[in-house]
Amino acid sequence: MNHPLPGPGTGPEDHQGDTGESRSQRPGVDRDAGRERGLVYRRSVLLALPAVVPVVLVLGVSLVGASAQSLGLMPFIGPPVLSTRGWAGSAGELAKSATVSAYIAAASTVLSLVVGFAVAVYILAAPRMGRLVAGLSAATIPIPHLIGAGAMGLLLSDSGFLHRLLGMPAAFPALVGGPWWIAVISEYVWKESAFVALVVIGSMSRSMTGLCDSAATLGATAWQRIIHVVLPLSVPALAVSALIVFVYTFGAYESPWLLGPTSPEPLPVRAVRLFGSVDLDARPEAMATALVSVAASAAAILAGVGILRARRNVR
Amino acid sequence: MTAVLPAKRPVRPGTRDVSVQIRPVVRAGLGVLLVLWILAPLLPVVLWSVAGVWRAPAVTPDTYSVNAFASLGERATLRAGLASLGLGVAVAVVATPLGFLGALAAQSLPGRRGRAVDLILLAPLAIPPFALVLGANTTLLRLHVPAFAGVVLILVVTALPYTAFMYRSALAAYENQFEDVARTLGAHPRQVIRHVRVPLLATATARGFFLAFLVGWGDYVATLLVGGGQLTTLPMLLGAAASSTGNEQLTAVLSLSVIIPPVIILAAFGIPALTRKAVA
Repeated sequence: MNHPLPGPGTGPEDHQGDTGESRSQRPGVDRDAGRERGLVYRRSVLLALPAVVPVVLVLGVSLVGASAQSLGLMPFIGPPVLSTRGWAGSAGELAKSATVSAYIAAASTVLSLVVGFAVAVYILAAPRMGRLVAGLSAATIPIPHLIGAGAMGLLLSDSGFLHRLLGMPAAFPALVGGPWWIAVISEYVWKESAFVALVVIGSMSRSMTGLCDSAATLGATAWQRIIHVVLPLSVPALAVSALIVFVYTFGAYESPWLLGPTSPEPLPVRAVRLFGSVDLDARPEAMATALVSVAASAAAILAGVGILRARRNVR
Repeated sequence: MTAVLPAKRPVRPGTRDVSVQIRPVVRAGLGVLLVLWILAPLLPVVLWSVAGVWRAPAVTPDTYSVNAFASLGERATLRAGLASLGLGVAVAVVATPLGFLGALAAQSLPGRRGRAVDLILLAPLAIPPFALVLGANTTLLRLHVPAFAGVVLILVVTALPYTAFMYRSALAAYENQFEDVARTLGAHPRQVIRHVRVPLLATATARGFFLAFLVGWGDYVATLLVGGGQLTTLPMLLGAAASSTGNEQLTAVLSLSVIIPPVIILAAFGIPALTRKAVA
């Protein structure tokens, strides 16, 4: 691995960025170029292997293993017997869990986008205070969701910090363990809005400042500049981060486990509970639940990428 | 500046006064709200970490104590801290070079094959981590993979999309001209690598390593299911404390012990770059 980077003048790679001009300056190079291209190709494939093999292996073993176990073909003990009980036996429960997961993910995604965009605009618009908000917001990104969930529990639970701040009203709603999953969604929005803000700020180019100035010169108010200039230019970044937030919150275990009600269960909580159950017959159901979440994530990603592509083509 | 702006902006009469008067107030108010929003969940964590007795209606602790922090010095907690550190470093040490190799291959392979490598490297993002762990668990047990190695393997696959993406964007912006200039000036290939290539990729390396470290440092699900109780990390202790009642102090200090080390790293390297970008 002496010359890992492709580029002119680094030996075998030197035709990579070339248009052929430099090649024609050297007689008899065409045949060598073909051979060199083959060499580069083989070396690139070799370079890819250490990264590609573990991913393919773990994903393959995991998906095949889950499928086989969901059908009773890979029991923990005893002989394998093909059975669809893991799927059909709890189809209603599976659908309920999928609906709860979809609700949590959709609500968390929409609110994360709104708050994250507001944070990004604020960071760009306010020079001094914006720097403080940027620093604090970035500092929350490395906090694991488990810790965020623990903190939200201390803040929002019954007789938690917020309840005390409000003077312990009797009508305080059940935010933790309540029917609307408010503590879970709050935790996701708290963490993921910082991520959305980071992506939006990263995507903003210098040309945006120029466009904002032009709009201001033409008499646009700050609000109009945000809605008609900043928001449309941020749509690609918002769309990509929406997809990431949705898929993450759909499949995350820690927050709904710590902060959600015991029933109904979202897919990850149900799968992990069934998996840890002393009843080994619950394993196929656990695997079916896990596979439903994999399929739903894949469907969300395909739909999201499809929408993004269609949008780009329309433009 | 103030003398130029009014002339540049032919704002409708009346509106300009409003915007000049109200905006700084709105801006400050919004800023305070956002700071409160970010700090709100962390405030009870900090208060609980130093609380001795803190009964229900009181807004601030009745008594203060450092007993909870003292519990961090216990042997089991220290061992869990070391296990978390080891897991984070192991994941980062493996996932960072693999991400580099993958990104390099994706860039140099032509067309569809390059895209296929990209797609494979991003694929773990599409699969919920708990599902990945559940499916692989039985096979790992049957192959007698040790708990720590099994967790590292799963988490390396989870972290690869981040490290590969960091190198992918760094390589896409990489200017080969710098290397050409160095070579023209008579630099030996090894000198080019040391003085041009390594410094130019240093930021991507640091970011990728940090993200991969976080994947291991903060992991809960893989450690819980693959570790099978043999591997006790700080998040495992925290999960046990947070899921039972009456452990507020312990939950708080364990949270701080997980949050603070990465934030210090970020404050030292990351935030200056971020704010510079935000201001620019």
